[in-house]
Amino acid sequence: MTTTWKLEAWAVSIILYGSVIAVLTFFYIPIFALIVFSFQEGTYFSIPFDGFSLRWYSALFEHKDFGTAIGNSAAIALVVTVLSTVVGTCAALAWVRYTFRFKRAFQLFAAAPLLFPQLLLAIMLLLWFSVLGEWFDFSAGIHTVIIGQAVYIAPFATIIISVQLHAFDDTLEDAARDCGATTWQVYREITLPLLWPGISSAAIFSFLLSWGNFYITYSLSGTARTLPTFIFSGIALGTSSPIYPALATLIFVLGLILVFVAERFRRRASAR
Amino acid sequence: MAKSIDKRPTNTELAVNTLPTVLLQAAFFLVPLVMTVVLSFQFTEYFRLVWSWDFATWTDIFSRWYYWGILLHTLSLAAGTVALCLLIGFPVAYAIATRLKAIDNHVKVLIIFAFLTDTVLKVYGWALFLGKTGPLNWFLEFVGFGPEASNLLFTPWATLLGMVYNLLPFTIFTIYLSLIDIKRNLLHAAYDAGASKFRAFWEVTLPLCRPGIWAGSVLVFVLSLGVFLESKILGGGKSPMTAELIRHTFETRINWPSGAALTLVLMVVAVVVVLLFTRIYSLKRHLQ
Repeated sequence: MTTTWKLEAWAVSIILYGSVIAVLTFFYIPIFALIVFSFQEGTYFSIPFDGFSLRWYSALFEHKDFGTAIGNSAAIALVVTVLSTVVGTCAALAWVRYTFRFKRAFQLFAAAPLLFPQLLLAIMLLLWFSVLGEWFDFSAGIHTVIIGQAVYIAPFATIIISVQLHAFDDTLEDAARDCGATTWQVYREITLPLLWPGISSAAIFSFLLSWGNFYITYSLSGTARTLPTFIFSGIALGTSSPIYPALATLIFVLGLILVFVAERFRRRASAR
Repeated sequence: MAKSIDKRPTNTELAVNTLPTVLLQAAFFLVPLVMTVVLSFQFTEYFRLVWSWDFATWTDIFSRWYYWGILLHTLSLAAGTVALCLLIGFPVAYAIATRLKAIDNHVKVLIIFAFLTDTVLKVYGWALFLGKTGPLNWFLEFVGFGPEASNLLFTPWATLLGMVYNLLPFTIFTIYLSLIDIKRNLLHAAYDAGASKFRAFWEVTLPLCRPGIWAGSVLVFVLSLGVFLESKILGGGKSPMTAELIRHTFETRINWPSGAALTLVLMVVAVVVVLLFTRIYSLKRHLQ
């Protein structure tokens, strides 16, 4: 009895630990494949290598679209982050704290875009922008991408901030008000500082969602390129070259540095 | 200031807080949606939109088996993705929540980090890995299988692999979040009452983390309906999915009414599935 019991526990442990190891390997297979191929000498992807070289890194920096793609990605992500965080903070306050007549309808409206596949949202918007473009004489570009991403990302920000708002103690606001603070003062001195953790995590999330967004950007960007669409147009046209693995490696290293810095900050904050 | 206690906001407060969302979503979500519905009742001739206001586009769509074949293919891939994500995601989430106390943060960071790396790049990485002269075939040959033993790339299986890869983190995290919410003393109570570990898992843990399982399934299903990166890069574009068909209809065939109607079909499928899931879920909770 006890031996079978132990055997069972062993089997369960093996399955559990094994699944974690297997999934972590699974997650990093394509990333390591990209890193390995970025150091090859030849143009065609094949293992074993013809030789080791860094020439694809310099080729990447010489590519004329690379700089603009990074610039566009950063600009779009910054504007979308500000837009979605502001819209999300306002909506979250109404979502959690206020009671009003059309609250259910408002909540549904504020979260609805999350229920739709991104590509479909983007296509509907593309139709609408081509009508608006004819009326007001503009064409698809960075501004249409920003609006499209905000429609999709603002609901994310709303929900992230709402979740944090549930734990909000609003007697603090009442206390401030009783001490004679104006609505704006209460907002600035009490509400916003207490909401700050939720707002900042919503901002980080919005930035990352926007930075890596493919489907909406691809549909609405016209001729402008961001990093994901720059990569996609490179590899889907069949003119694939090792500059894309090189780019992947750079992005990966940059992300690694960011994670380290964030972890440092977290450690220091929790040590205090 | 008794007014602030029942939290009925003044009209200005309410307007300031709701208007940004209402304006954004009305102008760039609701109006496009209505326009898509309107467009689906028009028709095209020689690449030009004809304002016909009839069901011609819809009858055309419903009479073409080709479209429904693609939709069926998309739905089966989505269902397969959900099943695999749950099957793989559950043990991982369970292990992180219950076994890996010492290193669970590191494992989570590793998963999040892989998850946040650019999707296009990761899919491309899979294509390189699975390719004819890629690492997988090199390894298989090294181990003793013949040259080019794996032919996975450019098949629907590669598409499925890519979809599971991209969506698995969603199930891991929703299930994980519902697992860490379970109070330990509920399990201890079950053990004290004489339940075996397996029975306690089956009758306490599993029912309590059902919300996470449902949420993960819905999320993965809806997201996998709109996918075309995986089928284009890993599947080789040979067996298209609905999202690809829709893009193709808009861009290459320049047939807006058909594209709009196909968009609506896929959208209705997504919404029906979400409603069905929440319906079954609340029904089950009702019966318990």
